[in-house]
Amino acid sequence: MTSLLDVQDLRVSYGDVAALRGVSLSLGRGECLAVAGESGSGKSTLAMSLAGLVRPPQASGRILLHGEDILRVTSERLQALRWSTVAVALQSAAFNPVATVGAQIAEPLRVRAGLSGRQAKKRAGELAVDVLLEPALLDRHPHQLSGGERRRALLAMALSLEPELVVLDEPTAGLDPATGRALMDHVRQLAQERGFALLLMSHDLVDVARLAERILLLYAGEIMEAGAADLVAGEPAHPYTWALVNAQPVMSSTKDLRPIRGLPPDPRAVPSGCPYHPRCTQAEDICRDQRPRLLQSRNRQVLCHFGGLKTLLSASDVEKSFSRRGHRVRALRGVSLVVREGESVGIIGPSGSGKSTLARILTGHLAPDTGEVVLEGSTVSASWRRQPRMTRRRIQLIMQDPWDALSPRLGVADLVSEPWVIEGNSSDDERRTQLAELLQSVGLPSEGGFLQARTDQLSGGQLQRVALARALAADPKLLVADEPTSMLDASEQARMLVVLRDRQVEMGLGLVLISHDIAVVRKVTDRIIVLEAGLVVEEGPANLVSTSPRSPTAQRLVAEAPTLSTGLVASS
Amino acid sequence: MDLATQPRVLMAAERQSRASPMLIGGGLIIVVLVTVAVLAPWLAPYDPRDPLSGAPLERPSAAHLLGTNDSGQDIASQLIWGSRTSLLIAVEAATAVVIVGGLIGMVTGLVGGWVDSVMMRLVDVVLALPGLPTILLLAALLGPGQHTVVAVLGLFGWPMLARIVRSQTLTLRQRGFVVSARGFGGAPLYLVRRHLVPALGPALVTGFVSVAGVAILVEAGLAFLGLADPTVVSWGAVLNRALSYPGLYYSQLWTWWVLPAGLAITFAVMGFTFVGVSLEPSFNPRAEASR
Repeated sequence: MTSLLDVQDLRVSYGDVAALRGVSLSLGRGECLAVAGESGSGKSTLAMSLAGLVRPPQASGRILLHGEDILRVTSERLQALRWSTVAVALQSAAFNPVATVGAQIAEPLRVRAGLSGRQAKKRAGELAVDVLLEPALLDRHPHQLSGGERRRALLAMALSLEPELVVLDEPTAGLDPATGRALMDHVRQLAQERGFALLLMSHDLVDVARLAERILLLYAGEIMEAGAADLVAGEPAHPYTWALVNAQPVMSSTKDLRPIRGLPPDPRAVPSGCPYHPRCTQAEDICRDQRPRLLQSRNRQVLCHFGGLKTLLSASDVEKSFSRRGHRVRALRGVSLVVREGESVGIIGPSGSGKSTLARILTGHLAPDTGEVVLEGSTVSASWRRQPRMTRRRIQLIMQDPWDALSPRLGVADLVSEPWVIEGNSSDDERRTQLAELLQSVGLPSEGGFLQARTDQLSGGQLQRVALARALAADPKLLVADEPTSMLDASEQARMLVVLRDRQVEMGLGLVLISHDIAVVRKVTDRIIVLEAGLVVEEGPANLVSTSPRSPTAQRLVAEAPTLSTGLVASS
Repeated sequence: MDLATQPRVLMAAERQSRASPMLIGGGLIIVVLVTVAVLAPWLAPYDPRDPLSGAPLERPSAAHLLGTNDSGQDIASQLIWGSRTSLLIAVEAATAVVIVGGLIGMVTGLVGGWVDSVMMRLVDVVLALPGLPTILLLAALLGPGQHTVVAVLGLFGWPMLARIVRSQTLTLRQRGFVVSARGFGGAPLYLVRRHLVPALGPALVTGFVSVAGVAILVEAGLAFLGLADPTVVSWGAVLNRALSYPGLYYSQLWTWWVLPAGLAITFAVMGFTFVGVSLEPSFNPRAEASR
């Protein structure tokens, strides 16, 4: 089957602004593809190119519609194709201010389809119903309609000649969510009934994921990730997609929003190599020096030298037994888990379920009986050799009891500087500056007597923040936190979790949060693993595990979690 | 979790040293001993080796507080100078034992694995050797000399301390601050220096004091048996000389020739033992290593 639309290596530049930098896509008959991306990513340029509004020499490459290159056909032919074969509803399309909306919708019907004035007017009324527009509004002038109504009128116009391909640029902008959703569902249904293909341009990745079969994500005029909609939006592979999904407020996630670090690229000076590398937390030198290619990875196409988000930590089949008074206690029975770049994984379970044992094995403080823990490609082990010691630095454990974790013989400054002292390649001056910054970032005083204070002079909350600060001082890529907020008041706990979230945004820090408090865990983590008697009894997205737990263990933990009962109780 | 609620203040109170009479007494003895040793050149009326300090076998008098020996050397001066020998050997031997035994104990306890197994078997072997006979044999084989005594004591003294230090290190290495430092990439010697030595300080001091006491006794014993360098002035050498004098017990000669030297040894050993024993509870694993 030949595809309806086949875009090959489309490049568009306006002077020194490169709007599209080699975009290829294809669309079959009746298919629905969504092009997502932030403003300035090149969506509108793509729509304009499809409408034939951008042509060589600004554009290069091919846009094949039924095998015919839109970039190279004559303007007469383009006229003929427009509206009847490909209809593009641009975001900025302007109505004629002196004609009624109905007349403007009827115009192509008269001129192109050869309908009589009466027939055209009748047809326009039907189209208005199709796009959920009150037919009475057709007699009004454009300025008498609201933005949302104009949007729908434009859509009616696009559908008027029953084109094979409808391109909608930000179709729901200006509509309230309910109307927008109803409209798009309706359009989607029409597309299925009448068999036209839909190309949706939107900045809202999550919203279009619902409608489209496939998603294509643009950034700085390049495709970052393309593939099945539920896959791309549900399990993002590219760091950009991941960050975008995390920045999106959705009901299906209980987690706090995370912004993307840095700023969108200036189209006049797109970064070299991978355009996303300045904002990417897993970028290496190669990302700056070499342009990645769009390659197949994890059942979709990803533009990344590493095939998408790196796997920070993977533990496979970890088993551990202890002998207690003669008989063996199996603390962990084949636990496996994976933590990706910037991801937060919660481990919950009742006391004695093996959580802390797992934490110690993950961080290389305890050797598993069988199984392996791999961090960024190197095995984590309890060995004393230099290489394993340096690997251990990258995965820090924040222990449950800060009194135990912090030596009673050292002051705050010495405690927090310890990782730097061990590393031994920074001067005292550098350490002092770093120390002050670090202490401030966790909300501790950064000067005066506090620096010399010993653990017995500090509160539990302060100690936990000192413990966090020194773990961060080691510049880890992954943090395993065992009940890190157990000593904190709610406000202090919230503050500490915000510090952790900032680190995740800035450094792509992976986080394994161990707790029995599912209410805290679900605010912070992407996935939750439920542990019971050393076995993983449930694993899934944080919102699912916390709202509809399947295992009895998780159900019990959810039932025990604190809930504020308001509203319903008050009104009954 | 219980650790969190446990009042930490109690532990601080427990750490306050209890100045027992034993500690004060032992400490006083050591202070006197050190003072005498340091001030020996000014305190001693005669050169201890000078046979012409007086006539042979003089009775105690104002000129010779403890009389003279069979070649006319001043016994009081010999005892005063002898304290130097005893203390010096005690300090050297104790230092050697604390460094060797402490280091081996800490590193084996920390690293564990085959290093630990091998070293602990070695400890068993050395501890299984019959102490005094082996020391005598070695002293005889290595020839007389102060360094022989230090070497012999170092060789036999470390296993006991290593064993004590190792068992406490095994507890310490489970402690969060040691685990954390390990997590920051700390090498064994860093952990020893930064965390273990300060935490094991009391144990090491007690070990030092105990070994010092034993060293004084062993040195005196070897000298008494004639296995020490005869040219060195020491308490043991005084006894050796006295006891080899045929007519010692026919007169009251022994009361100023043998008794003061014996008492000096007894008091010195007692002083170190008292201090060692009274320090011990303060580093009792139950009270201290858990903090």
